[in-house]
Amino acid sequence: MHVTVIAPESAVFEGAADSLIAPAFDGEVGILPRHAPFMTLLGDGLLTVRHGETSHAFYVRGGFLQVVRDNVRVVAEHARAEE
Amino acid sequence: MAQPRELRRRIKSVENTRKITKTMEMVATSKMKRAQDRVVAARPYAAALSEIIAELHDPGLVERFPLLRRPREGGGGGIRRAVVVGITSNRGLCGGFNNNLIKKTRARVAALEQEGAEVELQMIGRKGVGYFRYIGRRMGAEYQDITDRPTMDDAKRVIDPLMERFEAGDLDAVEIVFAKSVSAISTPPTVIRVLPVDVETAGDRQEGGAVANYILRPSAHEIVGAVLPLYVRNTMYRALVETAASEQGARRTAMKSATDNAGEMIDKLRRVYNRARQGQITQEISEIVGGAAAQQG
Repeated sequence: MHVTVIAPESAVFEGAADSLIAPAFDGEVGILPRHAPFMTLLGDGLLTVRHGETSHAFYVRGGFLQVVRDNVRVVAEHARAEE
Repeated sequence: MAQPRELRRRIKSVENTRKITKTMEMVATSKMKRAQDRVVAARPYAAALSEIIAELHDPGLVERFPLLRRPREGGGGGIRRAVVVGITSNRGLCGGFNNNLIKKTRARVAALEQEGAEVELQMIGRKGVGYFRYIGRRMGAEYQDITDRPTMDDAKRVIDPLMERFEAGDLDAVEIVFAKSVSAISTPPTVIRVLPVDVETAGDRQEGGAVANYILRPSAHEIVGAVLPLYVRNTMYRALVETAASEQGARRTAMKSATDNAGEMIDKLRRVYNRARQGQITQEISEIVGGAAAQQG
């Protein structure tokens, strides 16, 4: 599946992924490939994107997450890469 | 005829000026490039918000949001209280850039007042604030500390209080006057109405394929409620970023023509200088020849 993480000032991440864990407004959600169309508001916390052996983590706050046709779009009010 | 020494001094001075304008042109060019990159970088976010609003757009649902509330029908478009936010730059030396923005802002305020609305003016940028202070127009807010690299926080600072007042029913419309960044040379002052949000233009529905049947959490209503303020803030942010890019473009154009003019002036002065120098040499020779002839005679 394809993941995009978008912050107001710029897109933070774009690439393929095997799984994703996001902080939704009411707790964490995990998204795997072929997830049903889904939309949720985000809370704040750590967003983790895994692809094979590599994983990327971002601190996100606010905004929403949208899954449609194996495209995951995380649109956050704040998003920055976690070191 | 002017003294050659005097001319040489003027040539030197114009050359220095040209050096400065040339440098400013190059600085503006690189700043413009970076500012335009920021405009482009902000696009995916705006597109995502537009798309989501379009997908969740449902007339019944949408009637319930205060941010969408249209002014009641009545005389003069029904707008009784409006805010116009004018964006200008903090620095000058960019040709008619700020003047055009100020002119547009004044025209917009006048047009709204003509329709019977009470208009509050808010200005961003030292140039605009300075101008309206000078003509003695009261401003509801003055922002002089937004740099040429505006951030989302800047946008929030300006628009959030206005959103609150709009939601409270204190305002009927909020408009922004900014310099749309069409290209490096075309930066027309433009008016957009940010509030009430116009769902028809906000929602950029992608054609092709039925809209997916989403699982929505917590609910479509709450998602729209959360996304609308983001959309409004983003509109403000985009106006700031585009104006910043336009400012650098305008400055580059102004500095380029200043550099060209200085070049022309140098050419002209040099021609006059050469003639003066030649004249002086000719005169000196004829004096020497005349002197020698007098001695011999």
